[in-house]
Order: sequence, then C-alpha cells, then structure tokens
Amino acid sequence: MERTSRRAWGHPWFLLPLVLVSFAASIYPIYVIRPFRHQGPRELAAALEIIQIRPPIELACAILALGGLLWYWRVQPMVSRRRLAAAGAFLVCTFAVVTKVNIFELMFHPDTHPQFVSIQQAKVDADDMVMTVKIGGVAHAYPIRTMGYHHIINDVVGHEPIVATY
Amino acid sequence: MWTRESGGLVLTFHLAGINNQNFLMRDDQTGSYWQQITGEAVSGPLRGRRLTLVASDELSFGLWAAEEPGGAVLKSVPKYASDYEKKDWEVNMKKERIVLSFADPARGLEPRTLLLGIQAFGASRAFPYDAVIQEKLVLDRVGTEPVLLVVGPDGESVRVFRDRIPGTDGHPAFYRTLDDKQAHPKDAAWLKQATAGPLLMDEATGSEWNFQGCAISGKALGLCLEPIEAIKDYWFDWRNYNPKTTVYKRRQ
Repeated sequence: MERTSRRAWGHPWFLLPLVLVSFAASIYPIYVIRPFRHQGPRELAAALEIIQIRPPIELACAILALGGLLWYWRVQPMVSRRRLAAAGAFLVCTFAVVTKVNIFELMFHPDTHPQFVSIQQAKVDADDMVMTVKIGGVAHAYPIRTMGYHHIINDVVGHEPIVATY
Repeated sequence: MWTRESGGLVLTFHLAGINNQNFLMRDDQTGSYWQQITGEAVSGPLRGRRLTLVASDELSFGLWAAEEPGGAVLKSVPKYASDYEKKDWEVNMKKERIVLSFADPARGLEPRTLLLGIQAFGASRAFPYDAVIQEKLVLDRVGTEPVLLVVGPDGESVRVFRDRIPGTDGHPAFYRTLDDKQAHPKDAAWLKQATAGPLLMDEATGSEWNFQGCAISGKALGLCLEPIEAIKDYWFDWRNYNPKTTVYKRRQ
C-alpha cells in the first residue's frame, strides 16, 4: 500500500551532468593526445591539465552518482527509471576507472624490466644501429629496432639512473 | 638520453601520449608529463623542470662492439620480438605521413629527411644525414664555433667534435686519412683495428686522430677533442622544436 502511494519521480536527470563531466574528463585527453593527429598548443595544454586535475573530480562524480542512485532507488517505484539511474551511475564509475589507465602505455608495450646480454649473446647484426652510453666505465647499447618498438627504457648505468628514449 | 633524476626523485618513465609525433612521457613518481625531445616537464608538479642530457652515440653495432667488447646489450623481449622493426624500417618510415605542416620550400628538405641536429654554442644547426655519410668528414660551424662531423670506419656511425685542440689556439683543418675504398666494415677484426686506428690528421700539429676523437700520434698525442651531442631526428620534428635552425648544405 505504501509502495503504490509513493509518487513517481521523474527521470534521473541529476545524473546527466555527472555522466557528461566524467565522460569529458576521460575522453578529451585521449582524443587530443592520440597518434597521427595534429596537436594544437592550447588543446594539448588543456588535455594535460585535465589529466592532472581529473582524479578527484572523477572520484567525486562517482561518489555523487552512487549516493544519488541509492537515494533514487529508494524513492523511485518505477523499475525502468531505476535501471536508467543504475546505468548512469555505472557509466560514471566506468569513466572514473578508465582514467586510471593510460591506454597509450598499454598500446606501446613497455619493456618494464629491461635485461641485458653480452655482445656475443646479442642477436644484433653488425650493421644495425644501436644507441650507446658509457658512464663510470659501464657501456650499454640499445638496438634501434628494439627501441623503435618500446621507445623508452628506464635503466641504471654505472649507478646513474638514466632513460633511453627513441 | 636523459638522466631520470629531478626534484630529488629518481623517476620512472612511461610513454603516455603523443605531441605532434614526438612522444610524451609520464613519470610514476609525480604524474608529470615530459616532452621526449626537450626533456622538459610540460605538465604536472614538476612542470618547467628539465632533465639533464646524457652523452650518447648512435653507432653501428659492429663498431660499438669493437670499441666496447665488455659492453652489455639490451635484450629483446621474447613476447614482442617478432613485432620489432624490420631491417629496412627507416625506408618505410619515410612513407609515414606527418601531422605538422609548415611552408618552408627554401630549405628543400622533405619532412622525413633524416638529419643530425646540434644545439650548441647558442645555435641550432641541422646536417642531413645522407650528406654527412657521403662526405665522410664535414668541417662546419654551429653558431660561430667550428665543428667537425666524422663518419666512422664502418661508413654508418657519426660523431661530432669541437674543432679545437685542447691547449692550442685556432681551429685547425682536419683531413681524413682512412682510405674508405679499402674499408671492410663487415670484417670484425678489420673494424676493431680501424676503430682504434688513425682516421684523421690535423694540419696544425700533424697528429693522427681516431674515431673517439683522440690523438694517437704526433704533438697532440693523448689529447682528445671535445665531443658534441647530436640528435638523429626527422626534419619536421627538428624544425618544430628549433624554428631558428640553420641547415648545412652539401658542398658541390
């Protein structure tokens, strides 16, 4: 009896700004900072700024969305609208999780634990080019064909932390 | 190549984005973003800081192995090795499109012309790689300072030195003494001997110099020329970060 007397609340519009904000914060930097596209200085600066400031914003959106969903679920008798609200909250939470992952870092397959072999063991042709460094009497070589794939190697040479980039 | 220390932290970098085909790195420790070619933090808590350049070379593996027989070589990651760049990848890269456009017909360079870029003595200068390889020895200036670009006995590797013998005045002319027609760069024993042996001679002291830029005979024996960092880069990228660069033109 009590259930049927409850008034039907409207659509869960309160979730829309949360969905839009979390969507924009997660997608805009990916859209701007993607390969084979010209990056303008302003849009790049904006994308990088969003990356820096978005973690608390995404978290706040997710908390508000989940809190809002709980409240709405209790007051909204219509199952279809409850489902709509649940879908909206799910999207907000998904975007919050997506921002924790940098897709470029996955795309380029980093060599996170670089290992080294002797010249005799290396499978590199004599005429292949290598990037080379020597610090404190320790010499390391990074084959270009390998670097052209991984692009970044975090290394320590002669106790000096360095990063080889290509 | 950069040191990865900044703000009292040892940083670990990841490839985290692209800025006009030059990549952005993110450090784990602060989440700052860094531009690869400049080593400058462009976003985040360390914004404005610059990494320190580490002296490095780009050499043929054969030549480097002759110089550093005890050296260590980055190992392939088996999981990805089949996807690594192929032998002729630089040829294929020339076909890749670029996203920057700038009218610069006077320079006569294709966007993906490979060059050796030097930032030194308050100036930027680009040397088309093919021209250097063909000339074997380039005597030129960066800003007002005379420099020499020397191709190694392997015919592939290049090193750049300041044209000033320590302890002397002036900028002597250098001559290439290695007979490149007699070179056998695929012969490891020959390459080892040629890499340590005489490559150049200077007219001021009559000394012989090797590919490490050190005098191995004559009045300058034991002295070494000051090495200068050169970056191998594409013209479009170099031009983007060095808009005032000048370009070396090959002697006719």
